This record gives sequence, C-alpha cells and structure tokens, in this order.
Amino acid sequence: MSQFQKEIVQAVLIADNNVWNFKPLSDEGSTALLPLVNVSMLDYALIALNRSGVEEVFVYASLYLQDIRQHIKQGIATFASWSFKMTVHVIGGEGCRCFGDAMRDLDAKALIRGNFILLGADTVTNADLRPVLEQHKRTAKFDKGAAATLIFKEASSSCGRTGNELLIAMDKQSSRLHYHQRLRMHHKEGRYQLPLDIFLSNACVTLHHNLLDPQIAIGSPSMLSLFSDNFDFQTRDDFVRGLLINEELLDSRIYVSLLPPAQYAHKVNNWLSYQLVSRDIISRWAYPLVPDMGVYKLQQQYVFYKDNIYKSHSANVSKVALQENVVVQAGSHVACGTTISCSVIGANCRIGKNCQLNNVFLMANVTIEDNCQLRHCVIGPDAVIHERCVIEAGCVLGPKCVLPANTKLANTLVTSSPNTQRSEENETVELDAIGPKAYIVSDVTTGDPDDSDDDEQLLPSTTTLSIPKMCEIQAVANDASDYSYSSDDDDEESRVATPLPDDTNIFLSEVIDSLTRGFREKSKPEFLILEINSSRYAYNMSLKEVNFNVVKAVFGMESIIEPANNNVLVAINAAFKQLGPVVSNYIKSEDAMIDCLKALEDICEENELVREKISQVVHYLYDKDFVSEDAIHAWYEQLDPTEQPTLRQSLAKLVEWLNQSSEEDDDDDDDDDDDDE
Amino acid sequence: MREQPLKEVTQLIHAIKMGLVEGSYSITNKTLDIFKYIIMSKSWQSADALMQIVRAQSRIMQAALPQETVTSNIARRILKLTREEFDLLQAKVQHFADDSQASLSLHKLVTQTSENSVSVDYSIPQQGLREALLDHLQEVETELETSSENISVQAEEHIHSSEIILTLGHSRSVENFLKRAIKKRQFLTIIVAECAPACRGHNLAATLANEKNVEIIAIPDAAIFAMMSRVNKVIIGTHSVLANGGLRAACGAYTVALAAKHYSVPVIVLAPMYKLSPLHLCEQDAFNMVGCAEDVINYDSLPARDAKVYSPKFDYVPPELVTLFISNTGGHAPSYVYRLLTELYHPEDLEL
Repeated sequence: MSQFQKEIVQAVLIADNNVWNFKPLSDEGSTALLPLVNVSMLDYALIALNRSGVEEVFVYASLYLQDIRQHIKQGIATFASWSFKMTVHVIGGEGCRCFGDAMRDLDAKALIRGNFILLGADTVTNADLRPVLEQHKRTAKFDKGAAATLIFKEASSSCGRTGNELLIAMDKQSSRLHYHQRLRMHHKEGRYQLPLDIFLSNACVTLHHNLLDPQIAIGSPSMLSLFSDNFDFQTRDDFVRGLLINEELLDSRIYVSLLPPAQYAHKVNNWLSYQLVSRDIISRWAYPLVPDMGVYKLQQQYVFYKDNIYKSHSANVSKVALQENVVVQAGSHVACGTTISCSVIGANCRIGKNCQLNNVFLMANVTIEDNCQLRHCVIGPDAVIHERCVIEAGCVLGPKCVLPANTKLANTLVTSSPNTQRSEENETVELDAIGPKAYIVSDVTTGDPDDSDDDEQLLPSTTTLSIPKMCEIQAVANDASDYSYSSDDDDEESRVATPLPDDTNIFLSEVIDSLTRGFREKSKPEFLILEINSSRYAYNMSLKEVNFNVVKAVFGMESIIEPANNNVLVAINAAFKQLGPVVSNYIKSEDAMIDCLKALEDICEENELVREKISQVVHYLYDKDFVSEDAIHAWYEQLDPTEQPTLRQSLAKLVEWLNQSSEEDDDDDDDDDDDDE
Repeated sequence: MREQPLKEVTQLIHAIKMGLVEGSYSITNKTLDIFKYIIMSKSWQSADALMQIVRAQSRIMQAALPQETVTSNIARRILKLTREEFDLLQAKVQHFADDSQASLSLHKLVTQTSENSVSVDYSIPQQGLREALLDHLQEVETELETSSENISVQAEEHIHSSEIILTLGHSRSVENFLKRAIKKRQFLTIIVAECAPACRGHNLAATLANEKNVEIIAIPDAAIFAMMSRVNKVIIGTHSVLANGGLRAACGAYTVALAAKHYSVPVIVLAPMYKLSPLHLCEQDAFNMVGCAEDVINYDSLPARDAKVYSPKFDYVPPELVTLFISNTGGHAPSYVYRLLTELYHPEDLEL
C-alpha cells in the first residue's frame, strides 16, 4: 500500500466557510468559485498548496458540491498549474453545516494519515509552508500534545481592518499560544484585557497585536479527534478557545508560527478584503500569484504594461481608457471616452462610451451602457446596467441583474429575482423592486460603519451587523496622534484597581461562603481548612494568593461588612475568636503576615468602617499574635506615602507605639542585665 | 492553436514556473529531451507531420512562457534539422535514380537544396529519416553539453595577467570562463556587482573566492560606475541575444554597459549558440518580466499603499554597447549576429 512507502503531504481545504458575507453573489454559487482578479479563489488556495509541495488535497464543500467538482475537473482538463503532482478530492455532505462538522466528518472517514495543512478556500498566499510543516513535526516530536500550529502574518498598522486581525499572547521560546482574541472591525481598542495567569505562569510572553489571520494552520492527527470529542466546537476559533481553556484537561497545546515579511498571506472573507487582496494581486505583492504568470491556465493570459495594466491579447481596449491597476480579460470591449482605474474586468464584458469606472469588479459577460459612473462596487456575471446609472460605494449586483436607465444606487445589495433571498430565520422577506430584474436585498448593514459601530456595542451578539463593504481605502497617516491620545487614556485607567482574574474571584467567594457557614454553624476549624484547601486546588491558587484571599474572606464576611451597631471591632473580635485557628493555619511565616497586611490594605479601600479603625484592627491582630512586629514594620515601609496618605497617617501612631514598646523591651532587657550585675 | 500539449511539455512548463528547472542551459536540455522523445515516438510518418507536432508543442511552450526564448530556439533547430535531413535523403534517392550525377559534391548539394526549397514536398514518407534525425540530434546534444566548455576555452585569448575584470550577477558561463582564466593567468582582480534584489552576485563571488591567486571584490550595483574607470574588461552573461545583436540580460546590465561605454571599456558577452533568438525588440512593455514588489519596498511601509512598484527582471542592452559576443563557435561582432541566425535557423521557421 502506498501509505506504507512514504509519508505524503496532505492538505484540507474548507470551502463555503463564510457564505453570508458575500451576499448576494453567494446565493447562486459557491463563494470558493468567486473570481478574484478573474481566477476563482479556490485556485489560489490550490496553487498555494501545490507550491508548498502538497501531494493530496481534500476540498471540503458543503453547498454547491457539484459545482466545485465540475470546476476541479475542468481545471485538470485545462492543465491548471495546481494539477501537477497533486491529486485533488472533493468531499462533503449535506449534513455539514460548519467548520467543526467538516473536521468531524474527516475524522470519521479517516482520510488524514499524518500532519496536514489546513486552509480556507478563500486564502491567498505565496508562502512556502514546507518550513512551517517541518517545524510543526519537530514540535510534535517534542510535545505529544501539540494539536496544531496556527500561522499568522504580521500586518501593517497603517491599513484599515478587515475583520481578520487578532491579538495573541505566546511563549517566546516555545512559540506556544497562550491567548487568542479577535479584534473588532470598526473599533480601535484603547486597552486589552489579558488574564493575569498568562504572565504569572510563564516566564517569557510576547504579545502581538497586529497580526492577520490568513486561516492557515498545520494540524496534527489529534486535531481531528479533538473535534470529534468536543462536538460543541463549531469554528476554528472555538477549537482554539476550547483548547486554551481546557489545556490541562485535553492535554493539547497550540503553537504559533509567523510568516516572514517577504511572504504574502491574506484571507478573503468579505468584500472589503476582496478589494484589498485584488489590489495586492494587481500591484504584485502576491507574486508569483499575479495575473500575468498564468496562474490557472497553462497559457499566459495577459500582457503586462506599465502602471500595472494587464490586458488580454484579445481584449479590445484603447490604451487611453486604462489608467492604472487594471486587469482586462479576453473578449472584453471598451468604447472610447471611458476611463477605468483600479478595476478588474471579466471575460466578454462590454462597456459603453463615456463611462467612469473606479475600483469596480466586473465578472464575466457584464454589459454597461453609455455614460455610467461606477465606484467601489461588484457586478455579478451577466448583469446589465443601462444608460446613465450611478452606482456608488458598497454596492453589489447579483448575477443576471438588469438595472434600468438613470438608476442611482449607493451601499445596496441587488439581486435579480425576488426569491433568492435566504433569510436566516426562514421568513419570506419582501424585496423592493427597482426594475423587472433588480430587487434590493433588505440590507442588514444600514448606514455608515461608524453608525453600526454604535449598534455593535449595544447588541454585541449579532454578527451580521458589520459585514464590511468596499470603500475608499485610506492609509491611516495620523496614527501618531491617535496613539498618544489612547496612551493617556491607559494611564488613567491603570490607576483604578485592575479587575481580578475570574478564577481568583470565584475562589474568594467560595472561601467567604465556607467561612460564613463555619462561623454561623460553629464548625470545627479543621473542616474549614480542609474546605479552603480543596477550593485552592480546584482553582490552582498559589500559596500567596490563598493567604491573601483567606484574610480578605474573613473581612469580607457579612457580619463584618455590615456589623451590628456599626461596631466593627466587636464583629472582628467575634469572627477571629471563632475563625482564628483557620487564619493562623495560613498566616505563619513573615511573608504570609505581609500578605495578610496587604489584604487589609485592600479591604481598607473597600470597607469604610475598617478604614476608620485600621490602626485598632492591626493592633488587634498584633495582640492576638497573627502578625509580628517586624511584618508591620516591613508593610508600613512599603506603603507609598503619596498613594495612601490616610492609611499611613492612621498607622503612624501605631508604628510609633510599636517602636517605643520595642525600645522599652530593649530597655527592660538592659535593666534585667543591670539587675544581674 | 487548438493542439493538446503533451504530458511532458506541461510538466516542463510547470517545473519552470515553479522554479524547479532554472537556468537556460537546463531548460534547453529538458526541451531537447522532449523533442527527442517526439522524434522517437511513432506518432509521425512524414517530415511534414513531425514539423507540425514540433511547431505545435513549441507554440504551447511559448504561450505559457513567453520570456523563455530558448525553447523556441531549440524547436527551430529541430525544424531546420528535419528539413536538411529530408533534403539530403531525397537528394540521395534522386541520385541513385539519376546516374548522370553519380558524385555527390557539396557544391551540388547546396545549390540543389536552395533551388528546390520552395517546391519540396515534406509530406512524402521518407525511409531512414528517423534514424538520420536521431544521429544528428546526438550532435546537437554534444554541442549543447560542450558549449560552456568551448566558451571557457577561449578565456586565455581575452583575459591577460593582472587585469581587472567586472561582471554582474551570476551566469554559469561566466563562472566557468573566469575560473579558467584564474587558472591560466595570474594577479587577476575580479569585481562582481551583486545584482540586486536577488543578489546572485554574492554566490559568484563566493565560488570564485575559493580559487587561488585572485582578488574578488563584491560591490553594490550603485558602485558600478565608480569602479568602471579601473576596469579593463567587462564580461557578462545574457538571458538571450536578439536578432539585432541586442541583449535581454539581467537587470543592471544596461547600467554596466553604459558605464563601460563612458570609460571605453570593452564589453564581452558570453552567449552560447542556443541563446540566439530571431526576435526583434518591438513591444517594449511585454519584453520584460516584472517580479515581486516586496523585493523593492516593504509591504507594510506607508508609501507602498499608493506607489506602483516595479522589480524588472531584465534589461535591454542595445547592440552598439556590446563589443564582442563569445559563443561556442568563436567570437563574433554584434553586427554579425544576423548572419549566424541565417546559418542556425531556416528562414521559414522564424515564425513558428
């Protein structure tokens, strides 16, 4: 059998992953077959795999399985570049609804035999994944629980967000992933919240906040079985999150690899990134995945002229019409007086006189009649736009649409028939007609991105609100001022007490519960200690944290927060009489005493009654031998006079008294000595 | 144009596109292997049919790889060979039939074929054509294999002791040529321009530095003009030689040639015969190949958003800047290239 001879490199391509973002073009065909600079996105992914030396690819499609199968067959017949030394299988099923289902199905079919490359069908990359695969194999040899290596690309901060950006925390030496968070589309985070134990449990953590996720990963065979075991994993993000939370439980770890700067990688998951990647391909950042390299067909399709103009030999276009960054496919005809810039023209398109096209993406067989103006829009195949139409930023016309003359559109989605609307709630939605073959799709994203930003904060659960659209891409040149502003913001925020990580909070509340119950029922201190210790192991608390939290818990009991007659000292006395042995079980060493006093410091900020009587409380603790004199001195030295002036003041007397008493003690000793003499 | 490409042809195209087969020598070699395979196959019966197949496959390769002219050049050589062998065999048959011309003099052969060229009917099946072609192909193969050596043999004619030589990038012919010169001559100084952005000049400098008795200097491309005043000779390789004697050479060659012209330094171009192409520089835009923008400027940099970035692979060097071509058959002036072309290829095959 072949699998015993040599380990062949396998890859999995997931198609139809984000159908919703490409409405209305996704209604009638697979998004994987959507042309990007006149080559379907699936082909880009396949070529990327072929260039990385992959020998067997499984394309996993859920919808439009037949279309994709047809496309693969045709590609092999026309000698597409990826068809060499690589076998492509198209698999899929009706029951497959999401990424997780695909992985579970692959596991059930047992097609993957070793480490594999996992790619979205919408990924455009020229990266060589071989070194990453090797690196993954090395990690897997070292760490049996390595489930996956995620591949990220550093992005410039100067371009806008497309929804693929994320923030990660990783170990610098082992490049293990510790934290993973997607950044929001229309939002500039002033601050990030990271769990504290990332830094507590790891010596060397690097944070990356400017990463792009091109949806490339190297998976171990265990990745598939992890999906099978955890049937609630829907997406890759679920998988990452689940693994990070239950690291110990699942005994699996995720690693990270960053692409070198010379290698391009981007994911096309919405119209904005579609526009961005098209521009990058045309301006040759994704070389050799450029139009004039014959990516899909054997023959070269275009001639490259200056100003990044790619023109097919059989296109009938005057040079004057094409201004810059234009791709014109074979058989297209552009009449005189028309200017085109930053656009892609599909096969057999006809464009009339005196039109202006800027950032327009025409698919095959589109007809545009005279005097039209189009900006930042996508026109589906076989669409017809009649005279004097004005189509502004963000429009998408579905296949076979016919726009009547003099139509003005901005930021709308148009489909050709009223029945193709696929609503998530399966309601029949009434569509506004603007022509016999043009219906406006009820738009979920109304208004500017800025408006939807506000909505997003109110309704964070609805993801459909922010499907990004095409627009003018502006480089953020005035970044510097932005940053200085936000850093001021950070300073203010950091003065306020940082919120505790979740586990610590839960631990604290459990200890409070135990103590309150023990206090009320007068249970034995040993039982309480046992309870606290078991909570400690459940939440993996360090000894320091336990000391701190036990003292905090004693003072956090209801009887002390709301004491009878507001006499807090009596309440404390009562509490310590009962719970004293518990506290002294933990507060033994000098360090523990300082922890205890620090906890008091914390309590002072929260509890006004304690704050007023702090010196008495400390004195009480000193009297009852919970804290030593040295610990109080050490703690007092640590107190910052500028930050806690009142606390220091109220303690000053006590400390003075302590000094005096110790001197007296010394004197006493001297006296004793004298007596001896 | 509706012909189906052979499996071998598509594989070769793929390999070249992926960068698995690099350098014009290996591309030529692989192409020759394909044509040899075609000749050996039973798919053709007459010379005409063979020529059809060769033309078709070569057209496919040209359409897929318009910049790799060597594939078409080798196809033209095969076509010319086929014509010659066919004529020779036809002539032999005629002579046996016609006793009056018993002696087969060279003069007669030449005059006969040139007279008959218009009316020769290649579709007649010809006995022994396949064997004759394979025999002759062996010669072409040997010529190809020895071409680099034949060029480097001429090194001592052109390079003398204690001279300063400047070269650009990394050409295999130049490497062998200089190695030979280092062995034969003493106190040479060789300046290698790095040829950014690929900087293959570094490789050449590193390999040459292993030799003894020679001083190697690697310089950035910007320093070419500054160094030129001290240079005795410029020796460069080329991607292909055009019909007018101009060069399609690695980017930076024009800089070198212009600087050499300014200081009247002779420019010697090493070009094996298979690099001679019967093409003229007509479409300036399509002449070049443009590489990755990332080589020139960072993707993340702010100007990259709006700038148009070009990283051309080739330079056109006009024939008047070239002093001498050294091929495996000897030295030629640029003005003599047209003559070599007529010897190499049949006039009817110039357009495939």
